[in-house]
Amino acid sequence: MIIFSSVSKVFGQKKAVDSISFKTKEGEIIGFLGPNGAGKTTTMRLILGYLKPTTGKVSVGDFDPIDNRIEVLKQVGYLPENNPLYLEMKVDEYLNFIACAKNEKNWQNLVESVGLNEVLNKKIEELSRGFKQRVGLTAALFGNPKYLILDEPTSGLDPIEQEKIRDLIKKLAKKKTIIFSTHILSEVEDVANRLIIIYQGKIIYDGKKPKEKGGVEKLFKLKIKAYEKSL
Amino acid sequence: MKNLFKKELNSYLNNPLGYIIIVLFGIFANLFFVKDIFIINSASLQPFFSLLPWFLLIFIPAVAMRSFAEEKRNNTLEILLTLPYSETQIVLSKFLSILTVLFLALLLTFSLPISLLFLTKIYIPEVIVGYLGALFLGASFASLSIFFSTKTKNQVVAFLSSLLCLFFLLVLGSDFLASFLPKIFQDFFSYFSPSYHFQNFMKGVLDIRSVFYFFSLTILFLFLTVLELEKRD
Repeated sequence: MIIFSSVSKVFGQKKAVDSISFKTKEGEIIGFLGPNGAGKTTTMRLILGYLKPTTGKVSVGDFDPIDNRIEVLKQVGYLPENNPLYLEMKVDEYLNFIACAKNEKNWQNLVESVGLNEVLNKKIEELSRGFKQRVGLTAALFGNPKYLILDEPTSGLDPIEQEKIRDLIKKLAKKKTIIFSTHILSEVEDVANRLIIIYQGKIIYDGKKPKEKGGVEKLFKLKIKAYEKSL
Repeated sequence: MKNLFKKELNSYLNNPLGYIIIVLFGIFANLFFVKDIFIINSASLQPFFSLLPWFLLIFIPAVAMRSFAEEKRNNTLEILLTLPYSETQIVLSKFLSILTVLFLALLLTFSLPISLLFLTKIYIPEVIVGYLGALFLGASFASLSIFFSTKTKNQVVAFLSSLLCLFFLLVLGSDFLASFLPKIFQDFFSYFSPSYHFQNFMKGVLDIRSVFYFFSLTILFLFLTVLELEKRD
């Protein structure tokens, strides 16, 4: 279980995340929705211990990501925003490096199921965006992590590739907790079973995803309007 | 750790630039030595070792400048720091890979003592201590250069800032600077200079104080690098 208790993160004068609290359950796919600069990436980095909270407490499983960073990282698979990769490496070289780090022995099976076999001998810089995204996602899956943190996993992809990545996330959902951030409303509608809306560093909605088509968009606009009125 | 070290070393050895830097180091070190040996007319490696700090002043920052600056520029530092490795493991693997590159570069200068062996008698322990000193000197330069590489995304800035800092440290022990200072300051400043401590190794003297100096300098900057990585905000 990932628990955020009144967590804030301040960069200089700016409050990137403002006293947010939430708990996750096993098997949940949480769509983390918000406009650019809302605090999605900061929240994800706080889960990984990549950033330290200014106030409040984060726990992942039984561990604090700051005090037990390595234990936390063994349980978490992470696809960072913009999917940074070692472009000069070959795909198999990169995946082998990540697999060794995460103690993943049977990574070839996973590579096959994701459809990366045909590009294993290519340099990452030669791959299309879609394949690069698959490489990042495959690396995040190594070590059979309990939690998957995906920061804008479909950003910059064409609609067909977006669909493929979404299907892959749904397929992975069994027995994993997935938190994925996005600003694409239809993506949350398609993939998530829980919705968290973050705006100006605050969680303004945390609950079930509306079932009707276009419901996420309506809810998103409504919650932002209500929040702005309350200021 | 072995996995990280392998990745770091491959980043140098799978890159033509890595080979170019190593070969240039070898060529210049050999050339300058051969140029001087017939003028001095002495079968000793001391002329080579006395030039070595100045070669390393350029070589080490050139090799180390990319260690963190490039990771920062390409955002791949986020990959490294979200893998189950400690900051210390990450820093040590980068440091050891640079030391390995230095070792390979120094191998290219083994032609000097070998050719001297054919020409005349040389005192082999003196040569071994000299090379050991070169490794100590290189290790301290590497740790300092890695530290400067964490401070910027720009490799050129990392290179120039470590080069300037190392130059300042080397000059601290020079006769040129000493001539401007009272005796008490001369001794004080020169003790903090790597060139002062490297002179012991050059003469074939394994002085424990000099070993301690290089060891402390290396550990200090590795520690500062780990602290810098832990900051992250």
